[in-house]
Amino acid sequence: MISVKNVHKTFGKNEVLKGVDIDVKRGEVVVILGPSGSGKTTLLRCINFLEKADEGELNIGDISVHFRHATRQEILRVRRRTAMVFQSYNLFNNKNAIENVMEGLVTARKIPKGEAYETAKKELDKVGLSDKYNAWPSQLSGGQQQRVAIARAVALNPDVILFDEPTSALDPELVGEVLSVMKSVAREGITMLVVTHEMSFARDIADRVIFMDEGAIVEEGLPRDIFTRPKERRTKQFLDRILLKDEYVKDDYAI
Amino acid sequence: MGKLFDPALIIEYAPLILSRLPVTLLIVFWAIVGGSVLGTLLALARIHKVPFLNGAAVFFISFVRGTPILIQMFIVYYGLPLLLMYFGINITRWAKLNFVLVSYALNNAAFLAEIIRSAILSVPASQSEAAWSVGLSASQTFRRIILPQAFRTAFPAFGARVINAMQDTALAFTLGILDILGQAQAIGIRTYHTLEGYVVTAIIFIVASLLMEHTFAFIERRRLAR
Repeated sequence: MISVKNVHKTFGKNEVLKGVDIDVKRGEVVVILGPSGSGKTTLLRCINFLEKADEGELNIGDISVHFRHATRQEILRVRRRTAMVFQSYNLFNNKNAIENVMEGLVTARKIPKGEAYETAKKELDKVGLSDKYNAWPSQLSGGQQQRVAIARAVALNPDVILFDEPTSALDPELVGEVLSVMKSVAREGITMLVVTHEMSFARDIADRVIFMDEGAIVEEGLPRDIFTRPKERRTKQFLDRILLKDEYVKDDYAI
Repeated sequence: MGKLFDPALIIEYAPLILSRLPVTLLIVFWAIVGGSVLGTLLALARIHKVPFLNGAAVFFISFVRGTPILIQMFIVYYGLPLLLMYFGINITRWAKLNFVLVSYALNNAAFLAEIIRSAILSVPASQSEAAWSVGLSASQTFRRIILPQAFRTAFPAFGARVINAMQDTALAFTLGILDILGQAQAIGIRTYHTLEGYVVTAIIFIVASLLMEHTFAFIERRRLAR
């Protein structure tokens, strides 16, 4: 469905991606884990051409492009087959909730307004915002904004949705509502490539977990294998650190 | 010769002068419309650092901001026909008003370019990224996402510029344009009563400025409040 091969990206002297290969099957939910600075976010941004990778190829459906030589037309075609959910939501500030969802449908895909409106309504209902069609982004909580952003991505019916740390900017009490929306998106069979620090999501929802460190894939496998018996020392260290923090948090709340 | 200052003449001259208000407003209108279009192009040339055009825009803007509008008008009036002559275009028979419109549009383009440029730059890059991610092209992103948000930011400064532009029209009479000031001037020459006419124009300017100011403030409160 979507695969990237040999992605290289350098910022100045800093080599952020050192030849990454990923293959995601239709309907698969793949979670990328890794310490900050491991290149996870850059990888997602390269797939959507928000960063220009120096090297590598992208295959999505029947489209095949080289990152460095992609033409403007090819980039547009790739972007019209993908969607992205950002860490800081990035709703269009000059549009209300339903217009945010409609924008890509009407302007990019040339779907008639009435039809786009129905789709947008349906998607907003699915993320539990049927009373917020006309709300401006500034009138919504972070969790609600991110749910609009997810509706905006799903409405496009893309081949894959790229999630870039979708809960990292949220207040802790709002993380749950976004995760549960993401779970229902996964259950619909939508292909997802997710960068996150939410271990529960990775453990319960992912079909496959990829662990990245220092710009390369260290290991990948089924969530239960990665979480219970990681093969690589670096994976184990990372998981220990993260899961230990989770335990601390749980203990705090347990009192 | 009578009184040096006769208040009754203010009432008498007011309709005569007021009848030339459309000319003043016409200059303001084209100055702002032409200035906005050209100003947006200048701003884009600067933001995208278009080779040559960026440098030309920087030069043009600092020239306009660094010289009096009176001089700019004379340069356009005497210089533009010579320049266009090189390209085989003869505008020596143009109405004087056209030269005024061109000069004021160019003048406002420079000021508006800076207002528009800073407003466009104030829209976060993440808004463009979101637009591209849903499949909008670069020009769709600019028209549908960036420009509307930039407009909101620019609006107060834009309103101030419109009011400035109106007051700047007070120099058009030097080319013999019969706008409100030109009319006051003409009356003064005819009747030796200069001051009364200027009082009338002052009142017109103040009232028009206040009206515009309140209209802009109203729009800002009503339409742009989010």
